[in-house]
Amino acid sequence: MHGDELPLFFYSDLFIKHPEVRDLFPVSMAAQRGHLVDALVKIVSQVDSVNDLTAFLQGLGRDHRKFGAVAEHYDAVGASLLATLEHFSGPAWTPELAADWQAAYELIGSVMTAAARADEELRPPWWRGTVVSYERRAFDVSVLFVRPEPRMGYLPGQSVAIESPSRPKLWRYYSMANAPRSDGLLEFHIRLIDGGAVSMALTSSSIADTELRLGPPVGALTLSEPVSDRDILLVAGSTGLAPLKAILDQVTALPQPPRVHLFFGARTADGLYDLDSLEKMAAQHPWLTITPAVSADSKFTGETGSLPDVVARHGDWSGHDAYLAGPTEMVQETVDRLASAGMAKDQIHIEDFGWSEP
Amino acid sequence: MERALTTAWFNDEGRLTPEELQAVTFPMSRLGRRGYEEEPVQGFLSMVHAEFVRLVNERASLWQDVQRLRRRIIAGETDGDAHAVLFGKEDAHIHAVRILSTAQVTADRYVADAQAYSSRVTEEARLRRDDIMREAQQHSDMLLEEAHARAREAAVSALNVAAPPQTDRERRAAQAELAYLRTYSDVYRAHLRAYTEGILRGIEEWELKEAASVREAASVQEAASLQEAARGHTNRRSIGH
Repeated sequence: MHGDELPLFFYSDLFIKHPEVRDLFPVSMAAQRGHLVDALVKIVSQVDSVNDLTAFLQGLGRDHRKFGAVAEHYDAVGASLLATLEHFSGPAWTPELAADWQAAYELIGSVMTAAARADEELRPPWWRGTVVSYERRAFDVSVLFVRPEPRMGYLPGQSVAIESPSRPKLWRYYSMANAPRSDGLLEFHIRLIDGGAVSMALTSSSIADTELRLGPPVGALTLSEPVSDRDILLVAGSTGLAPLKAILDQVTALPQPPRVHLFFGARTADGLYDLDSLEKMAAQHPWLTITPAVSADSKFTGETGSLPDVVARHGDWSGHDAYLAGPTEMVQETVDRLASAGMAKDQIHIEDFGWSEP
Repeated sequence: MERALTTAWFNDEGRLTPEELQAVTFPMSRLGRRGYEEEPVQGFLSMVHAEFVRLVNERASLWQDVQRLRRRIIAGETDGDAHAVLFGKEDAHIHAVRILSTAQVTADRYVADAQAYSSRVTEEARLRRDDIMREAQQHSDMLLEEAHARAREAAVSALNVAAPPQTDRERRAAQAELAYLRTYSDVYRAHLRAYTEGILRGIEEWELKEAASVREAASVQEAASLQEAARGHTNRRSIGH
């Protein structure tokens, strides 16, 4: 149909009528237009399942707090949305249609703002996060320690969206790599993505001592409660290690930890950027086994091959709870392999960001 | 081609649309019979398709203009201001929206270009790094092997020397061999040091270049945002027309 034209018209109309709203968005609006269309499609397609739609809109409302959206913006957005629909509908646009859309939008807006208001009671829109230490671990991986203000409560395995001061309005999700600590610090593992605007800023040494913004903790890749009596399999590809290390951190504090086997994979040996600290943990805890694996380095003395293969080679995991994180393909293939080897679906835990931007 | 335009290619209303035009395929001529070459036909079809899309869009846009003008004229007859009739406030706003949209798309392209550039630079750096590491690995393997061979030789000759009682001549030879080995080991160490330093310099240079490219990418992004700001400014002025 009109493709990009519709959101393009919408945002231009909005910014001309309310120039102050422009500051809430990044320089490039290309990704933003996609999000708008995706959200609208999702809303329209879920109109018949009210519960799902309400949950989606509430999440969206809470999520928009960190972007600086306030109640007044909702009216402005509604007016521009109607103007856009009118412009593209041509003669098909009637006062009745306009009234229907207006009513539908008001409902959407009220669900979102109500969720945002309820959220205000619970937490700030975003946390100030000072980078207190920066360490380059591999040529493309850095480890940051960040002090959030105020303190942040979260479940090990969860993530926050991060905005760097040099890339305003661009938020990317990163997992905390530790369980909540007494000093409140958060550990993040950042991998440089080729051409990735935010990862480039975060892996650069100039990030030390700067102030980041952190969104609220989200994500469901957390230790299943109540803790089952099954042993635990952790499979981490590259910086997918972060959420699993946080879970491992949590297990360490359990009165009777289950046996844990952590597979940590990378392309080459120097991509195993956190092996030292993991091996230190394994030396302290007899219940913990670490198996590093490398996929593209025949000289490596440990396990070589793709991570799903290496995991499968190590035998029968069907009696374990599995937690997986890493590159999408690697995670998917490991899920398939474990499932076909007889592991029940509810024993396999992966991150699913659902509505939020990955 | 004479059988090309059958009614099967038209939609329910008997009209040809760009989509249908794009989906057209022609039966292949049998072997040994004359027929058109497929590529030029497809090329021509895609030109026709593009022109078709342009015409359809133009027509839609003109139709909208006509509708708007018609409404204006009906409304304008009462106030009698011909200029307001042709260029109403609504038109100015639509113009502003179009100009801002164009500026935004331009800014988006700048950012996308900057990102593509930085992506290329990082990827090249990554590949270059892999090359350097591989080369270094091979070289150090070679040096090690050579040193091992030397040491083995020395050990063997030392054994041979140690067995029979040494004559003066033999002792002198052994001492000479020892001196040679010391010298060799010094030279080898110097070689290894120079080589390692060379690699470190390479890595430093690479880091500097990376930092420079990060700055460059940042300034391209900044330029894009300045450009956009400048355009935004123009837009706001044009609302007043």
